[in-house]
Amino acid sequence: MSGRIVAIVLGCAMLATTVQAKDHPGKEQILKDGYQGPKTCETCHPGKAREFLGTVHWKHASKVDHVDNINPNEEYGMKNRIYTMCNGNDIVNNLKEVPPNALGKTKFTGCNTCHPGDHTSDVGSTGSEAEQSIDCLICHSFKYDFSKRKAVKTKDGKIVMTQDRSTEAAANIGKPTIKNCMVCHEAAGGGAMIKRGFSMAKEAEVHVSKGIICVDCHQVKNHKFPTGRDPNNWAHDGIYMTCVGECHSAKPHGDAAYNKHTDKIACQTCHIPKTGGAFSKDFTKWEKQANGFYEPSTLKREVNETTPVYSWYNLTVSNTPQFIGPKGSRTDGKSKIYPFKIFQGKAYFNKKDGQLMSMDFAPPIATGDTLAGVASAAKILGIKDYEPVPGWQTIYFGSNHQVTPKNKALNCANCHAVNGVLNFKELGYSIKEVEKLTNPELYFEKLLKQQQENE
Amino acid sequence: MKKILSIVMVMAVMLISSLTVVKTASAEELKMTGTITKIELAADGKSATAVLKDSKTEASVTITITDDLTLDKFKDKRIVEGDEIRTKYEKSGDTNTSKMFKKTAGC
Repeated sequence: MSGRIVAIVLGCAMLATTVQAKDHPGKEQILKDGYQGPKTCETCHPGKAREFLGTVHWKHASKVDHVDNINPNEEYGMKNRIYTMCNGNDIVNNLKEVPPNALGKTKFTGCNTCHPGDHTSDVGSTGSEAEQSIDCLICHSFKYDFSKRKAVKTKDGKIVMTQDRSTEAAANIGKPTIKNCMVCHEAAGGGAMIKRGFSMAKEAEVHVSKGIICVDCHQVKNHKFPTGRDPNNWAHDGIYMTCVGECHSAKPHGDAAYNKHTDKIACQTCHIPKTGGAFSKDFTKWEKQANGFYEPSTLKREVNETTPVYSWYNLTVSNTPQFIGPKGSRTDGKSKIYPFKIFQGKAYFNKKDGQLMSMDFAPPIATGDTLAGVASAAKILGIKDYEPVPGWQTIYFGSNHQVTPKNKALNCANCHAVNGVLNFKELGYSIKEVEKLTNPELYFEKLLKQQQENE
Repeated sequence: MKKILSIVMVMAVMLISSLTVVKTASAEELKMTGTITKIELAADGKSATAVLKDSKTEASVTITITDDLTLDKFKDKRIVEGDEIRTKYEKSGDTNTSKMFKKTAGC
């Protein structure tokens, strides 16, 4: 590790500690006056609430220009997308109370549960009321009482998300911590670490073990978050990020042989050898739980149990009703080999037009009746001409987190041995090239030397 | 004499080994879904017990939790009394030790 990287890591570690230890300016004033929501924040940060309403965190959508078969003038995201990891979205699964199940129990559910408003001002809302409904503290407070954030029904029947607006929460603020991010991001897709299947615990992520937190890499500018290029993560704030930058150069290894790979192999390919979470779901068949509610049948693994598949990816996305995944090839001059978790989901397609249909979860959660969920979603979306038929969709999720320590990253033999993780033939190499690529001559001396040093 | 001693020693080793296996086998892994009726954090913050009312049998089961991630969720009230939990735990004698402790709700 170079001296520069050591300095940055140490700096991040110190900053991470300082962020929580040092009081935010204005704390005394907040303690004196109490917290009145965003307008208290805006005393020192004018315009920030309005600014936040224009971000993906608030809109759950953006224009998308790298994905096939969508309208470049429309906005897409969890607000309105339909795919088989979730099969619903903020529109059809707007936060609501589920009808009573056979045991008479009910509960609140909705894709927009994690939206940082109060649900009265919902996904994409604008104006002063929306600005004042922002839950600034759920991202910025170290002492947020999460039990205070819950869905409740008001006397007039509206469903509202309550917030912790206590003086204590407001007086302990700063840059978002890992916990602030993960409270929403680990719960996506139907439970803890189901959707993307990575952990940000220090035992699992080498950056976290060095004191680096989410926003050290996702360096936010005006509430806009830089994002990576997961083929299934479409909405963005217009800023992209890679590993190469302040911390890592384009040729980051001490070993020239490894550096030779970086033009064609993404960092993640060697440094994220495992992820986990759900790898298949069936939305046409829900399972009854002990509490009398139903859930989509889901096959899942722990966070370090799934070995990725590897594909060329030029950062554009193939999108059809049956497939969402990377485009690219060995020869296009733009692609690198990236790791992906393949997910396969079963849901209903409309026989009339071949499109994937979405599902309102409230009916099947209560009764297991999935077609009632499709009918409800179709009604919400104004779709009248449909005939639901079950079918499968394959989705490639990018493996972009849970970076392993370098001594556990893939080495030469992990790819170049004949039983290595890369399927060179499927990646476009000829039989002769595969023979060359899997010849021990490529790695034998180097690995033997390493082995001798370790013995 | 040496031969007898050897046989006795081998038998002793086998007996100890089998007792160890029996002890390990007696720890049974169970799973349940239930609602938390009580959470008690240890004074040092390194463990907690949660009483869950089994959704199927309505029996109360006390589970000991020691993993940092779940303890942190108790501390900042991401998991509170009244939440429904899906858990796997190891039962050994009177002690139920959590192996997984997650809220049933996703989004």
